[in-house]
Formats: sequence, C-alpha cells, structure tokens
Amino acid sequence: MVSDNGTATRRAVLKGVGAGGLVGVAGCLGVEGGDEGGDGGTEGNGGGSTGTDGGTAGGGSSPDSIVFGQPAAQTGQWDFLQPGVSQATDAALQNINDAGGPLGTEVELVRRDTGVNPQEARTVVTQLIENDGASAILGLFSSEINPLWDFLQEQRTPVVTPWPGSTFLDTRGGDKGTPENLDDDEWVWRTVVGDTVHTAGNAKRTLDEGFETIGVINGNTEGERSYVEGFLAPYEAEGGSVAQRVEVGLGESSYQSALERLFGADFDAFLVSLPQESAITMLSDWADGGYGGQPVLSDTLGTQAVIDQVGDALNGAWAASPGQSGPNYDTFEQAFQNAGDAEVNAWSPPAWDAMHVVALAVERAGEATPEAIERNLGPVSGGEGMTVSTFAEGKEALANGEEVNFEGAATPTNFTQHGNVFGSVTISVAENGEFTEAEVIPAEEVRGFVEEGEY
Amino acid sequence: MGLLQNVIFGLVTGSYIAIAAIGFTLIYGIVNMINFAYGEYLTIGAFVGLLTAVTLPLPLPVAVLVAMVGGGVASLVLARLFFTPINHTGPVPMLLTSIGLGIALRNLIRLAAGRNARYFDTETATFRLSGVPDVPVGPFDLLGDFFVTSEHLVVVGCAVAVFFLLHGLLTRTDVGIAMRAMGDDEDLARVRGVDTQWIRDSVWVLAGVLAGLAGVLIAIQTNVSAGTGYSHILQILAAAILGGAGSPYGAIAGSYIIGLVLSLSTAFLPGGMTELSSAMAFLILIVVLLVKPSGLAAQEVREA
Repeated sequence: MVSDNGTATRRAVLKGVGAGGLVGVAGCLGVEGGDEGGDGGTEGNGGGSTGTDGGTAGGGSSPDSIVFGQPAAQTGQWDFLQPGVSQATDAALQNINDAGGPLGTEVELVRRDTGVNPQEARTVVTQLIENDGASAILGLFSSEINPLWDFLQEQRTPVVTPWPGSTFLDTRGGDKGTPENLDDDEWVWRTVVGDTVHTAGNAKRTLDEGFETIGVINGNTEGERSYVEGFLAPYEAEGGSVAQRVEVGLGESSYQSALERLFGADFDAFLVSLPQESAITMLSDWADGGYGGQPVLSDTLGTQAVIDQVGDALNGAWAASPGQSGPNYDTFEQAFQNAGDAEVNAWSPPAWDAMHVVALAVERAGEATPEAIERNLGPVSGGEGMTVSTFAEGKEALANGEEVNFEGAATPTNFTQHGNVFGSVTISVAENGEFTEAEVIPAEEVRGFVEEGEY
Repeated sequence: MGLLQNVIFGLVTGSYIAIAAIGFTLIYGIVNMINFAYGEYLTIGAFVGLLTAVTLPLPLPVAVLVAMVGGGVASLVLARLFFTPINHTGPVPMLLTSIGLGIALRNLIRLAAGRNARYFDTETATFRLSGVPDVPVGPFDLLGDFFVTSEHLVVVGCAVAVFFLLHGLLTRTDVGIAMRAMGDDEDLARVRGVDTQWIRDSVWVLAGVLAGLAGVLIAIQTNVSAGTGYSHILQILAAAILGGAGSPYGAIAGSYIIGLVLSLSTAFLPGGMTELSSAMAFLILIVVLLVKPSGLAAQEVREA
C-alpha cells in the first residue's frame, strides 16, 4: 500500500510482512502434507496426501516419509516374545536408515500394542494405515490374522509378519506367483516357517529318537489344535501312532485328572500343546505326580519361564521351533546384539527379514505405496538376481540396475506363491535349567515330511 | 485308570472351592446378596500373598496369613464403600453393584499387575512346604496304586481346619450364634439386642479371609493373574447354589460334588470330550436344582 505522498505507511509495511509470513508458513505446511506433491524429480518433495508417493528408483524422488507399522504383543500372554522381535526390527531399521533408507528417505516405524487381541488388532491396523500412513504392516499373530482375514484383504496393504505359524496360511496369502497382477493377491506374507514345517521337524525328531507311540495333551483352542494336527499328519504318515489324546480347557487350576487319563495309556513320549500359563500348571502337576515319560513341547514352550517354574523334572524335554539358521544369520546376530539386551528368540530373525524385504521392495519399486510394495516383495526375494543379505548391498545393486535376491537370517526368504517361506527347524533341549540348541534339522530333510502343494 | 486317584484329585479341587464357597454363601445367608465381585477377593488375596512371599520376601506361611488379612481388610473396606450405603435398596441393586465392582476391580488389578500370570518362584515353592514332609507322598499300594503330594495335604488340611473352626464359630461363639440368628430373622435378632451392623462387618471380614486363603492356595498350586478369581467364581457360585445358598455346610458338600464331577468327568468322558468337564459340573447343578430347587442343604446355617 502506498500513501498519498508516495511513501509506504508503517501499517502497510506490517501488513505486507504479515501476509508474506503467512504465505511462507502455508508453504512450509504444504511440504508436509499438501495435495500438491512433487513430480518425481531427484529433489522432489514427494507425495500425495499420505506423503509416501515418490518417483522411481535411480533418479526417482525421495518421499517425505516412509512409515511402516508394527502391531505388537507388548502386553498379553505372548508379550515375553515381543522384546526379541522389537529389537530385531529396530536393528534392521537402524541398518536400513544408516544405508540412506529406501529412496533416500529414512524409514519411520510406528509400533502399537494389540495384546494379541483380534479386536484390538483391527483397531491398531486401521490406525496404522489411516492415521500413521503406514505403507506396510510388519506384524500380527495367527490368532489375529485368521479372524481378520477379510478385513486385511480389504485394506490392500501388505502384511509381512514374523509371527504366524497357523496352517490356515499354508495355502493363503502371497501374490500367487504373479507379481504384477494385484487382482489375485492376498496381501499377507510371513517370513517365519509355518506350523506345518516345524511340527514336521518335531515329528521327525520324535521318530528319529525311537518314540513310535505318543500321547497327546492339548488345549481346546485353534492354535493348540493346529499344532497337534500339524505334528500328527507327518508323524502318523511315517509310522507313528497315537495311544491317547486328551483335550483340556485353558486356565484350569489342575490338570491332574487329565494327566491321569493320559498316562492310563502306554506310550513312548507325550506331546504338549498348551499356552505357557496352562502348560506350566500341567507340567508342574506332571512333575509332582512323578509320571515320567518323554515330554515333547510345542514351539512356544521352549522358554526359560517354563523351566524356571517346572524345574529339573523337565530335563531332556525338547521343543522344535523355526530355525534361526538362515544363510545370513551371522549378519543379523551381530546387528541384534549391538541393538540392545533383549533375548533372541525364534521370531527375531524373521522380524529382521521382514523389515529388510519390505525396504528392498520399496527401493526396487521406486515408490512407497502399498501396491508397489506388494508387487515387489516376490521379485526382491526369490528372483534370479544378485544375492544380498543387507539393505545396503541391495540398494547398491538396484542402483546399478541389477535385480536382487534377498537371503535372510531365518530362511533364504524365497516366498512361495502363498507368501510362505521354508526353512530349517531348531531342536532345543532342556538341560540344567535352560534350553540349549541341540540339533538343527535342515530344510531339505523337513521338506520330505511336507506334502507338495500343501504349503 | 485309577478311580481312587481321581477321587483324590476331586477332593483336593473340592477343598479349595469349599474354602471360598463358605465365604460366598455366608454373605448370601446373612447380608442377603449374591456377591459377584467375590472372585476378585480371591485375586486380591493371591496377589497379597505373592507380594509377601516373593517381593518382600517373607516365609510362605506368613504370606498365607498376610493374604488372609489382606482379603479380610479388602472385603470390609469394599463393603463399607459400596454395599453398606445401599443395603436398604434390596438384593437386585446390590447384585448389580457387585457385578460392576467385580469388573472394576479386575481391570484395576490388571492395570496394576499387568495381564500376565505371576508365579511363586521355585525357591519359594520349595519353602512353601516347610514343616510338611518333603513329598510326593506315595505312591501307595494299600488301596490301589495312587499317590498324594504334600500340596494335596496342605490344601485338604487347610480346608479341614476351616471346617472345624467354622463349626466352632457358628456353634460356640457369641458372634457365630448372632450370625445364625441374623440368618434366621434379622429383625428379631435386632430386637433381641444383636448389633446387626457389627455382625455384617464380621461376615464381610470372615468371607474376605476365606477368599484370601483360597486365592493364595490356588496361586501356589497354579499361578495368579488378574483373571484368577473370575475364572473360579462360577465354580464357587455353583457349589454354593448346589449346597443350598446360605448354608455353609451345604456349600462344603456342593464344593466336593463339583470337585469330584470335574475330576471324574475328565477321566471318564468319551475321548475327544474331555474339555467338557467344566460343563458337566454345571449339568449336575441343573439336574440337582430341577429335583431340589432349594439346593441340597438349604437353611442349615440356621439349624447348625
């Protein structure tokens, strides 16, 4: 504004400065979340409304932010496993960001607690996708995925999880071997071997040890039944037989009557498939009663808490869990140890693998949208490209125009058409107050116990 | 399959249900309410025992006594806060209040203690049997091949002690006689000089003490979590109703029936149906109530 005498008034100057400041602030805000994103230049500001769109790799843009969501078991009956998974995820995140991040952008991980409750998980997944802008989900247990299957399909956001063993997923999930076609995709991938695999390893171990007749005690929930069915299919197919099976409710004050019934039959070993709390009660009753026999434990019972509570009576018991001996376990182990004090568990290496494979998918896609990640999970893990074990190696190879084949810490991470991986099985034996790794059954030996096309 | 062994298991289960069910049924008989929050009193007692034995740590017998005191104090305080002010409104508002209180207590305990089960650690577990012969006691061959453990002896021993003390209380003390008088006719008891509020408070304390004892025994045998009491309240309710609500002697009988049914049904149900043993206990309850709706021993509190 100009005054009559041609000089600017003080008020006019202040108005101008104020307006300019507002425009400037508006511009800054627009970079964060505006709808007028960049156009893919090398210095582009990225994004659409979620801020996760970008240009293409090698000359593409850097999106404003890349968010991955992690539904977690920070409370609930599986919370004792979460520290090992969180630390593995954080270690992977650190390595990825140290290498410059996918598309030159740091990845942000948002972790939210579900308590492994399906209803809570539904809320958490919705929050992660809609509020936090997560372009991939790096978690969820079987007991969350199975009941939420249709909901997860509707989200059209890839779920790459280190947790679920459920046989429900044996023939569900993945991209059906057609990476470019999203129409037949089922959006759920797992970097941990399923129950079908490690129960087969457990069955093999049981037969190898000469235990050809078995008793079974299991909880009356889907997960516990699933484990037993997974075990018995190969066990009986290879000549084993079941002398007695007792199914019990969870959370009982006493399992003595159930044990009395179980041990009324003659068998060489007995399989226990119960959640930890109920298993400790049952195994304590078993120890108090002096029943003897060879305990064979489901994967989640190979923990320190079980030995601590049951005591020396458990010596010689074993648990079979997903192997921790993928081709690049050593790389993972070093990063994991540098990241904190948590105890590594069977789900830690798969968590490392999940983070890496999603980051590489973003890098290969050149953008961080859920659809782009879904299309590239298969190609970066099971292709014929250059074998890589870290994000830095993969990023460099992709920048050079090569294809990559990520080989992980838990397994080679070669996804099947159903988004599954196949790997070795670790046998841990209870001795002197702790579980010690006694044997690793190679993947190829376990493969012989699993029907082709059934996994 | 050992019938006698399963009978022993049933008697052990019945014993800790009975300890809790006596308190539950006394509240019904004298305060005239069904207290659904009673399960949480078990949980409070169990956690008090756990804190005493593991966190402090103090010897387990001391922890059991502290758990009983904790249960009694909690019961009285909660009664004064939530039930006494609405005592005149009748049984339905009291029932609804107890349901709400139970939910609130359960979630507060979960908030304070977390969702996970807690255990008496191994060292404490060894100590818990101090003064009792180191067992398993058995196996015995006298009446067939069976065994009992020192845990069994402790639980049954506690229950028997409670039964004798309760009988003595109800038949040989002024408080007990006043309780029976109130159970029979509160107005008449008041006219005859009974301090009914004091008797009510005594019942609340006694019920809480029994809940604390039952809770800590369950916790020693298994574990304790925020859901411990809730998972037992239906068994306690069934035992009390089966015996005849308001009758402590009936509650004892009902508890042992429930315990035996739980044990024997697990042993003898057809294969694949063993998980239904809890349902069998309630089936028995329904059958008994159809035949004798007042329960097996109704009104005995007045007749003792």
